[in-house]
Amino acid sequence: MSKIQSSFILIVTMSLLIACAPSRVIKPLAKGEQAVGANIGGPLIDFGGIPIFIPYTSAFYAKGLNDKTTAFGSIHLTASSFGVFQTDMGICRELWYNPKNKLGVSANPALNFALDRWEWKAKLWPQLDVNLHKEFGSNKLIYLGLCNWFELSRIRAHSEVQPKNWFMSPQVGFQYSPKKWTYGIESKWVAPGVNNQPNVVDYLGPNHKGAIGVYFQFIRRF
Amino acid sequence: MTKRIQFATKALRHKVLFLIGFATKVSIYQVLFFTSLSLLFTSCLRLDSNLFNVSDKISEYKWDDYTGEQDFKLDASYKIQDSMMYQFTMDSKGKGDTKSYKIYGMYIGDLNQIANDTVILYCHGNKWHMDFYWQRAKLLAHTGGKHRFGVLMIDYRGYGLSDGPPSEEGLYNDADAAMQWLKSKGLSEQRLIVYGFSMGTSAATELSATPRSMRPHKLILEAPFASAAVMSADGAGLNVPASYTTNLKIDNAEEIKKVKQDFCWIHGTQDNFLGIKTHGEVVYKNHGGNYKEAHRIEGADHGQVPTTFGFQNYNDMLYKFIMR
Repeated sequence: MSKIQSSFILIVTMSLLIACAPSRVIKPLAKGEQAVGANIGGPLIDFGGIPIFIPYTSAFYAKGLNDKTTAFGSIHLTASSFGVFQTDMGICRELWYNPKNKLGVSANPALNFALDRWEWKAKLWPQLDVNLHKEFGSNKLIYLGLCNWFELSRIRAHSEVQPKNWFMSPQVGFQYSPKKWTYGIESKWVAPGVNNQPNVVDYLGPNHKGAIGVYFQFIRRF
Repeated sequence: MTKRIQFATKALRHKVLFLIGFATKVSIYQVLFFTSLSLLFTSCLRLDSNLFNVSDKISEYKWDDYTGEQDFKLDASYKIQDSMMYQFTMDSKGKGDTKSYKIYGMYIGDLNQIANDTVILYCHGNKWHMDFYWQRAKLLAHTGGKHRFGVLMIDYRGYGLSDGPPSEEGLYNDADAAMQWLKSKGLSEQRLIVYGFSMGTSAATELSATPRSMRPHKLILEAPFASAAVMSADGAGLNVPASYTTNLKIDNAEEIKKVKQDFCWIHGTQDNFLGIKTHGEVVYKNHGGNYKEAHRIEGADHGQVPTTFGFQNYNDMLYKFIMR
């Protein structure tokens, strides 16, 4: 098969940009509390017969506006290294919380924005993450949720119809927070409603649908 | 003197305090902003060079003796006699070049008959070198019977033994150099057929749309890609601009609008790399001429069109198109 070179750089940049980060904040910070975090991870691909996750990286800052709302903003470092400024900014809002069961539901509406330095083309796409979270003990949390991205454009290159405008990805995650640090791992099935073939990237997803994503997160609260 | 020292010390202390104050007051948002700005203006990673897969280095062309990976291998009945194989070099210097590059080529046919023959210029894909595509060139040399048409194949700069770094403009310049070579042998435009496969469809389309040394009479594209923009959007899911990933300007879907020559499109329905729907169909739809024909090869993946279609069917289909 005469495929274009399966270079890692190619795969990184051509792959699902929308799947480049986990949910930023699951449970809102306390009022005035701040946090900085970094994450690495992305969709799984077949790289020369070996399944690996694409190491997208990003860093973010979050601050508790009140006990129920946390604002956050990020920069995507991998995208930056390709001359693309990419950020997502939004809030995490606690919609419901049961202190007795330590069970809650939070929503993260956010805006993703990207701008390249080569042709100064900008791109904006909204995102909405909704997570059901449950705390265990004093420092463990698991969550189950849906991550949603929205493509606002109805057409794409050459005036063709944009095939999909809503990308929904179910996700599950775990966070461990000893003292001021939080360590998290999240996995999501990125865009299970989209066939992952044909494509320039060999995504790994059940029944050739979407891709399984794996993300690691490190957060320092202060 | 003492006053001066006191004044300088005071000024220095003010500056230090100002910097400390600034450092403590500056918000994380500002740090992120300036960091990203600096990254934005210092980053330079691009996909461009990744289009060109020249990783398999060779010291000589082996043709039938080549044992490396190939899409398919023809049996002995397709053998080309040595007398009908002409390996040569030519100089390529075109648009944007500051020097000329030595380009290797292989002509299958009778050199002395080029002026009277119809010749297929085969623009190969992005992988490796002519040895990889040798079986394909041989198959083309059997269109309408053995040596019914001449076949010319070249290694673009940076490919195989050809000099220089590969580049998008280099593809066009080198394919045009091949046309100059054919022209120098007396080939007329009416007898020039250009065949592009995969990445080679960009050179074939570009030189058919905007002719340089010769205006090809007919255009054949196998598994064309629409554009870098489609490739980016397919990979990303979202409709992201191509400039997020590459500076390449390859855009067959737009260039084909300028192509007035007869056009034959061949694409595997199971092409898992350059999907028939997002790439091939768009190119076919946009053809600007009066005559075009489509051959959607059921079940064929990228690079599998001749084997899935069947060699004889493939040759027959090409022959009909060329002769019509």
